[in-house]
Amino acid sequence: VNKRKILPTRAALTLTPSAVSKIRLLLQDKPEYIGLKVGVRTRGCNGLTYTLEYTTEKEKSDEEVLQDGVRVFIEKKAQLTLLGTEMDFVESKLSSEFVFNNPNIKGTCGCGESFNI
Amino acid sequence: VRQELYRLPVSSQPLYIAGQRCFSNASIRKKSGEPSPSEDKVHLTKSCVKRLSEIMEKGEYLRIQVEGGGCSGFQYKFSVDRNKNEEDRVFEQGGVGIIVDQESLEFVKGSTVDFSQELIRSTFQVLKNPQADHGCSCGSSFSVKDVVGFSVRGVNTPPHKEAANYRREVKNE
Repeated sequence: VNKRKILPTRAALTLTPSAVSKIRLLLQDKPEYIGLKVGVRTRGCNGLTYTLEYTTEKEKSDEEVLQDGVRVFIEKKAQLTLLGTEMDFVESKLSSEFVFNNPNIKGTCGCGESFNI
Repeated sequence: VRQELYRLPVSSQPLYIAGQRCFSNASIRKKSGEPSPSEDKVHLTKSCVKRLSEIMEKGEYLRIQVEGGGCSGFQYKFSVDRNKNEEDRVFEQGGVGIIVDQESLEFVKGSTVDFSQELIRSTFQVLKNPQADHGCSCGSSFSVKDVVGFSVRGVNTPPHKEAANYRREVKNE
């Protein structure tokens, strides 16, 4: 008997409602892009920093996160780093930014842009 | 309270003059010649002016302050302010203005304020600061070149800077 084993899956990245609506807004008038891609890059005083860019296609190694109709792709290199992270969008009068609440990180830079794990 | 610790001691002289005198003592004078009032300006980029005109109501200004803090010793702080104090300098351009207090101006004069828009974040930034040595990657924190450092001004190095220097030394070893 071939018993199918069902494994629980957890989204590698969750989006807050404000992040979802911002991404939707960003992609609204850009039909050429299918979503945003999150990555990490070595930069800053604490080792790593997040990158965010538009993407036109899903690469083989990308992890796809589909939530509330918006698609976010995670670069292969960033997948382990980002696992379980919540992506938020914070807006104030003077600045607006995507914030990653990452449970894996050990420390951040004062500005929050750079981090280490 | 914390930010007050790193401010210049209160003197009976106007702070502006005190700052000027300290500045002319510094060896930076050799490089730039006589300090002229035009060098004490803060410049605004087009995108900064555009953004400020979008978000600011009449009578509101962008205030830039320099505080001890951040990973490099000093950091910039941006806020919206309606009140101008006596010691504040106002830089207006295209119908919008930014306010810098005298003490902070010593650290930001000659630099350019920009509104940078990227996908991941949009924020005001201080760019091309002649006083800043090297900063954090995000640009919100910076360290000061020795010529205009606190020691020249006869004020003790702030603990944040000391810590930053110490960290750098440890790292280099």
